[in-house]
Amino acid sequence: MSAKSAGPDSRPPRWRAGAGRVVAGTALLTAVALLPWLSGTDPALTVLRARSADADPSPAQLAAVREQLDLDEGPFAHLAQWLGGLPRGDAGTSWVSGEPVLPEVTTAFAVSLTLMLGALVVTVAVAALVCARTLHLGSRRRLRQKRAGTGAAVLAALPKFLLASLLATVCGVWLGWFPSSGWAGPMSMVLPALALGVPSGAVIGGLLDQSLPAAFQEPWARTWHAYGFSPRHIARHALRRTLAGVLPQLLPTVVALVGGAVAVEKIFNIPGLGRLALDAAIAQDLPPLQTATLVLVLLGAAAGLLIQALRRVLLGPALRDGALPALYPPALARRRSTRWVAGFCALALLTLVVAGLLRDPLQVDTAARLLPPSAVHPLGTDSLGRDLLARLGHGALRTAGVALAVTAVSVVLGLLLGMATQVGAGLTEVVSTLPAVLAGLLTTAVTGPSVWGAAGAVCVVAWSPYAAQTAALLEQERASGHLLASLSFGAGPRYLLRHHYLPAVLPSVLRNALLRLPTTVLVLASLGFLGLGEQPPTPEWGRLLSENQPYVELAPWTVLGPACALVLLSVLAVAVSSGSVGVSGSASGRGRSRRRTGRTGRSGGRDVRHEEDVRLEKVVAAGMSPPPGSAPPPPSCRFRRPWPRGWSGWT
Amino acid sequence: MRTTTRGLLAALALGPLLTGCFVSDEGGSATDGAGGSGGRLKIALAVPPVQALSPYSNDATVLSKLSVAEGLTALNKDGAAAPALAKSWKQVNPTTWSFELRKATFQDGSDVTAESVVSALDHAGQAAPKPRVLSDVTLTAKADDADTVTLTTKAADPVLPLRLASPALGILAPKAYAKNGTVSPVGTGTGPFEITKLTGKTKATLDRFDGYWGGKAKAPGVDVTWIADGTARASALRGGDVDIAEWIPTAQAKLLDKDTRHEVPSVRTDSLVLNTGSGLFTDASLRAAAREAVDGGALVDSVFGGYADPAQGLFGPAVSWADDNRVAVSGRATATTAADVKTKTKGKTLRLATYTNRAELPEAATVLQQQLEKAGFTVKQDVREYTQMEADLLAGKYDALVFSRVTLLDTGDAVAYLASDYTSDGVYNIAGLKDPKVDQAIKSAAEEGDTERRQQQIMRAEAEILRTDAVVPLVYEKVVQGIATDVEGVLLDPRERSLVDVDTHVK
Repeated sequence: MSAKSAGPDSRPPRWRAGAGRVVAGTALLTAVALLPWLSGTDPALTVLRARSADADPSPAQLAAVREQLDLDEGPFAHLAQWLGGLPRGDAGTSWVSGEPVLPEVTTAFAVSLTLMLGALVVTVAVAALVCARTLHLGSRRRLRQKRAGTGAAVLAALPKFLLASLLATVCGVWLGWFPSSGWAGPMSMVLPALALGVPSGAVIGGLLDQSLPAAFQEPWARTWHAYGFSPRHIARHALRRTLAGVLPQLLPTVVALVGGAVAVEKIFNIPGLGRLALDAAIAQDLPPLQTATLVLVLLGAAAGLLIQALRRVLLGPALRDGALPALYPPALARRRSTRWVAGFCALALLTLVVAGLLRDPLQVDTAARLLPPSAVHPLGTDSLGRDLLARLGHGALRTAGVALAVTAVSVVLGLLLGMATQVGAGLTEVVSTLPAVLAGLLTTAVTGPSVWGAAGAVCVVAWSPYAAQTAALLEQERASGHLLASLSFGAGPRYLLRHHYLPAVLPSVLRNALLRLPTTVLVLASLGFLGLGEQPPTPEWGRLLSENQPYVELAPWTVLGPACALVLLSVLAVAVSSGSVGVSGSASGRGRSRRRTGRTGRSGGRDVRHEEDVRLEKVVAAGMSPPPGSAPPPPSCRFRRPWPRGWSGWT
Repeated sequence: MRTTTRGLLAALALGPLLTGCFVSDEGGSATDGAGGSGGRLKIALAVPPVQALSPYSNDATVLSKLSVAEGLTALNKDGAAAPALAKSWKQVNPTTWSFELRKATFQDGSDVTAESVVSALDHAGQAAPKPRVLSDVTLTAKADDADTVTLTTKAADPVLPLRLASPALGILAPKAYAKNGTVSPVGTGTGPFEITKLTGKTKATLDRFDGYWGGKAKAPGVDVTWIADGTARASALRGGDVDIAEWIPTAQAKLLDKDTRHEVPSVRTDSLVLNTGSGLFTDASLRAAAREAVDGGALVDSVFGGYADPAQGLFGPAVSWADDNRVAVSGRATATTAADVKTKTKGKTLRLATYTNRAELPEAATVLQQQLEKAGFTVKQDVREYTQMEADLLAGKYDALVFSRVTLLDTGDAVAYLASDYTSDGVYNIAGLKDPKVDQAIKSAAEEGDTERRQQQIMRAEAEILRTDAVVPLVYEKVVQGIATDVEGVLLDPRERSLVDVDTHVK
């Protein structure tokens, strides 16, 4: 019985995922519908302001707007009316423009979706580049050293808006290769897709790169190599094997760009959904905001289902029957260069912080504006003549501290919600596509502008990648034989959590979180215009980047310093974690089992896994050896349990 | 299964091309690389339409900037009323005016008649909410005969001809006004250019209207793109995508070629508004201390990159008569010394607000913060998007605000601005000013009918306001317009009401 609970039959029924989606979507839409009433800001005033910048906010004018929009009827009457119109294909009219909402939202959605697909292509290409080396070496069984993933970390740390500004200036204005702005044809899609896709691709590639060695370490890969299958063949199947765990990351990383690419949409003047939603949210123009939110919710659910289907196509019955063990990182030697890189980054950051702390970050000197780096100002000055080194140094602790805290909270949230598989899946999909700005607005509405508001708002949305990843990895882990064995020995949930679930999930989730650290810094700063977070002139890396963005071309050093600091932080985090995770990875592989040999009873899970490996290998070797050269059955067949369901007759 | 994977990848790769949904360029713009569009002007405007170019919204200025719609009058260079659709007018008595219409046709082919003018003005009067220009006047229009319109106001309105030049009172053909209250200027104006297509909030196409009463425009048409981001606007001009880009941010101006950037004094004045109604600055001597501490001149070359003038009063060089009539300020409170500021503020923090919508303001606020701290204040900034803080501003929740304000509103008359911002019952009185002398000065300016004396009264009111230290002028802004070297005849208007007219063309 206990063994069965790990099997597929006892998985929570499918409807719960649907219910999760519906509940999450409804809650979000209701929150949006209540926005003006929660925020306490009169929607009549914001609508009036959106219509006319000079209009006097006189009581008579506000009353006219209120009457025109029937604002006195309250939020629920509006929500009901909007919902009532939806089946007829009528999403109401915009409060600001008076135009029908649906055509506007559909057009913007089509634009954003196209851009997102473009970004997806770039993401795939960049991810392929990032993990090409591991794939090449691994398929030839020459993977001796652990990859630190610093390259991926560098790319992932590039701020999208900075990349966008840079591309628009260099490829658009200077070289004239592509249009610098607008949305007039496939050519105008190239630069924004690159700006969005490169950092996303680095994150996805970094995750793939981390799990690939484990796939190559699996018995089937060893066996196939021994039989002389071509490296390409092995590489392809290793990819299939690892993609299943990484694919769900596309939802919060790439699909979320449909609503969350506001900065890039602005720089390239793309009439996308992100800008539409932001404008509507700021004007508290509910009909378009609600419709855009609904579209994003539906998109999240649809993309979630599509990704689920893709995973099934990739892994077939193995996933369905729960016959895929989780991937365990092999104990590879740590590259010495990783240590050097980590040391260098740490030293550079330390120097930066110490040197910066000795200077005044707030001293404005209008005569010394935009000075290039010199002996007096080693990193130059910003547009107000403030010393950039000082601002970087003083901002370091606050930036890193808040970002790490937010990441930690998000990871914990993600782990918890990811473990609540089916209900969590629906929620994850809905939150994945929710733009951080919208979360920020909802947070401001409830808490008002505050220092911790930004952190809170980011926590509300930032957990979704980790939840998606946890859910995907757990699905594999739950299926594994050693878990089955543990259960059959009577392991309780706490034991399973400590010895199976967390070890299976944590290394990958941590890598993911650290790759996303720079993004967190930037998202935190991007909420400043809502009054969330530290107010200027407090130095903070995200703010340094955004406030100096207009000077990218005039004084590149103003953004170069902060961008490099962000890259250093990100590389340091990834390099350090790759070292420590490598140790824990080897512990989970060899160390722990060695430690536990001789113990009996509940703790036997790990040993059983090795027996299972051996057994699988034997099955493969004895029963299914194809003549060299003929196409092998897909790996999923090989992982099909060789024993009857519920069988626990070994000891 | 392998084919499925490949198929999926192919679908993903093709997706962008297949589902490609782009804002299509129509007409000849596909060939304009070779100059095949025949001299159509390409313009990048900054503020995307909010109400499908309805004249009762922000969009009204687009209609006048691009010479699509006209009012009965227009403003000339000095800000006086000049003939437009009305060829002449006379004041019958203090509340009655008679306007003689010229022979003109709407872009839909119908004639401009007194009836159509009356109908257009009536629609503007009934619009809800009312256009700003009509907020302080009740206007009744009557058609006397086919080309004479009589306008009556409830109270005497000496600036009625100026008012009628407002883009919000543009005269459109009867078919522009729909039953549900929306107004569409597409193909219904009287100007030399006719809107033929409006694509959402991104593009508009204008063609020359050959039946214009003032002759044929030199340019065959105008292609408008709205680019909200200032850097992107500048890039579009530098990359040759557009011929004219308005409002180049000061941070980008240096990147433009010298002969493509044109600076225009603007009617915008940036100032530090002090909250006299509540908080720290209810104390006049502290306001004086703040006034002495603050130096707008320091902002000119730094934050504004030279594109501003240090301000002496509320009205800058764009208001041509202001400097000659300026009245010296007297009777100001004496400033508290830096040492005393600390005791007088009793450790209270000065809440300094500004908004992100204008890129220069947050930078200016940081400079001012340092200046104020030197004078002994403890300053904390609050910087947000304007709509996020407007309610708080009006409720007086801040001590000081770095504010960028248009001083000649759509009436083209300075009194409207003074009345809404500084009278005790003003609806936009962020300073919370309640000063009988100021009220009296503004009132007498509003009642003055003679243009010159009105201007003197306005400047007297300015001095009264400055005396209270409710507002500390910082700089007069300048606008940088980007114009490609091969374009001629672009109007550089301080009021930002006109840009393109019959004479504007590509060489």
